[in-house]
Amino acid sequence: MLTAQIQIGTWPQSVAEFERLIEATQDELVQHAFCRLGNRQDAEDTVQDVYVEAFRDRQKRAHITEVRAYLFRMVGNRCTDVRRRWRFTTGPLDDHHATSDTTFSQVAGREQAERFARLLAELPPAEAEVIRLRAWSDLSFAEVAAAVGSSVPTVKSRFRYGLDKLRRLLMPEGGPNL
Amino acid sequence: MNCKQARERILESLGNSQSETKELREHLAGCPACRSEWQHDREVWEKLRPAETIVASHQLMERTMTAITIEAAKESSERSASKWRSRPRWVMLAVAAVLLVVLIPLLPLGNSNRAGVALLAQSLQAMSKLRSVHISGQMRTVPGDNFELIGTDYQFVPLEMWRDYGPPTRWRVEKPGRVVVMDGQQSLLYLSKNHSAMKGEPTTGFVQWLRPLMSPETVLAGELAAAKRGEAEASLTEANGQLTLRITRQAQGDFTNDWVKNKAIDSSDHTRVYRFDSATKLLTGLSVVVHTGGQDISVLELNSFTYDQPLPDTLFALALPADVNWMLEPSEMPAAPSFTGPREAAEFFFDSLAREDWQKLLQVLPGSSVPDGIKNSYGGLNVVHLGDAFQSGLYPGWFVPYQIRLRNGETKDHKLAIRNDNPQRRWVVDGGF
Repeated sequence: MLTAQIQIGTWPQSVAEFERLIEATQDELVQHAFCRLGNRQDAEDTVQDVYVEAFRDRQKRAHITEVRAYLFRMVGNRCTDVRRRWRFTTGPLDDHHATSDTTFSQVAGREQAERFARLLAELPPAEAEVIRLRAWSDLSFAEVAAAVGSSVPTVKSRFRYGLDKLRRLLMPEGGPNL
Repeated sequence: MNCKQARERILESLGNSQSETKELREHLAGCPACRSEWQHDREVWEKLRPAETIVASHQLMERTMTAITIEAAKESSERSASKWRSRPRWVMLAVAAVLLVVLIPLLPLGNSNRAGVALLAQSLQAMSKLRSVHISGQMRTVPGDNFELIGTDYQFVPLEMWRDYGPPTRWRVEKPGRVVVMDGQQSLLYLSKNHSAMKGEPTTGFVQWLRPLMSPETVLAGELAAAKRGEAEASLTEANGQLTLRITRQAQGDFTNDWVKNKAIDSSDHTRVYRFDSATKLLTGLSVVVHTGGQDISVLELNSFTYDQPLPDTLFALALPADVNWMLEPSEMPAAPSFTGPREAAEFFFDSLAREDWQKLLQVLPGSSVPDGIKNSYGGLNVVHLGDAFQSGLYPGWFVPYQIRLRNGETKDHKLAIRNDNPQRRWVVDGGF
């Protein structure tokens, strides 16, 4: 209900409204960032940075009504920045990151994200992003369109093309290989 | 439904079972090609879906709200700087903001308290916009005596404070028999019992401990700063839409001689409880409980905070009686002998009263004349005993124990407060009689 209110409302302006926004969206944004970055610490740091930026620039963004989708876009952009920085450092799976998630479920989650990332790496980035937002973040096509700044028909086309390519990767003739 | 429509609906149905309509199911039942497409898509989709979802840690909300609070605090000080153009006010707010920035990460805020962090920022935001405040309540004190004096066995006395944020900033503090007004240029103290008045700078400490209360926007930061210095324990809770800040402090000062223990809030072990309204985020109440002898005794209860009401100019002006006795600064007093210490100065004071030598008395009693009340009560007294001077608590002067017999036969045991912490190092009688 809270998410729905935020979707139809405008960009929050008060600290109290931001608190409600964070309460409503933190899990799915962390999930999205985790999907992109593969470890919890970086995912949470990224999401925190996005919320603070969203608060700092709240007046500038007061006209935005698709708040949730826009937050996904901000997280996506910031994840891209983080990954870009990794190219100049040791990367996401160095010792520091690998040891920051220690429980079995966290390790399983990280492996799952890595496997998903390897699959999506076979797709054009625009198709990969649509698949990611649909499959891991449960955004509707309309929300995905708002998040990536495209039309719904374009997003659906990318989803279809991406899904078909993944089908060929996952289930080549003779049976699935993953 | 044709095949093209069915293929689009199949896409929408992935992860959204509501899109799997009866119409689609009927089409799939009669179309092997679409049914095969649907099955393959579903298989791929299931492989893409995460087996486990990641949930944000409890720390994320707290860390994020702390960061946002810091942002809000910075904004608050910047806004005040541009809005008020009143240096003292925005400097004060900037200091408060900076203190919040520094202190919030140090607060013992658990997950359950993260709402409190947000409310701190909101309080700062709300109070940075104040135009005026009127505070009223009651204090266990003595009418007419200084504003700092408390006593756990005293009766409650009404207490009121007003502040107009200006510019210029003006304020008034009043209890029966004693009032201080600061009109933006100077402060003026008036004691109605003996028609005595004294002028001072805007910052002269006529209202002592109460003064910070007239700046509710800085109270939080000030209290948290004390917590950081280790002078207090702070806890912040939110319940029933109310933010409550509890500050527990130990008595300040040296109590080798505990004469002033529990005679002022700062010289008592006590808890201050600040309450903030959840809707307006403004300070709405303050109570102070002194902990002594295993008892908790309320000594200050301020329960009425009215904000932004117009305050008449007459509040910040005092009409003094024609026969007012102006209390003087030490530098304005007539020359006095050089005393070896507080006890000798006290001897000089009591000797003047015994001899009813009022000119001599004014060499140690800071006034333009001796009030009739003092003449009538203490003139012609006999000194029974004068003890050794001692210090206590944070008081910068000395206390000289005495026993005197008044002309009416009454005997009085008390401690004369006398001090020389002025630039001239002159001994002046400060109270205790």
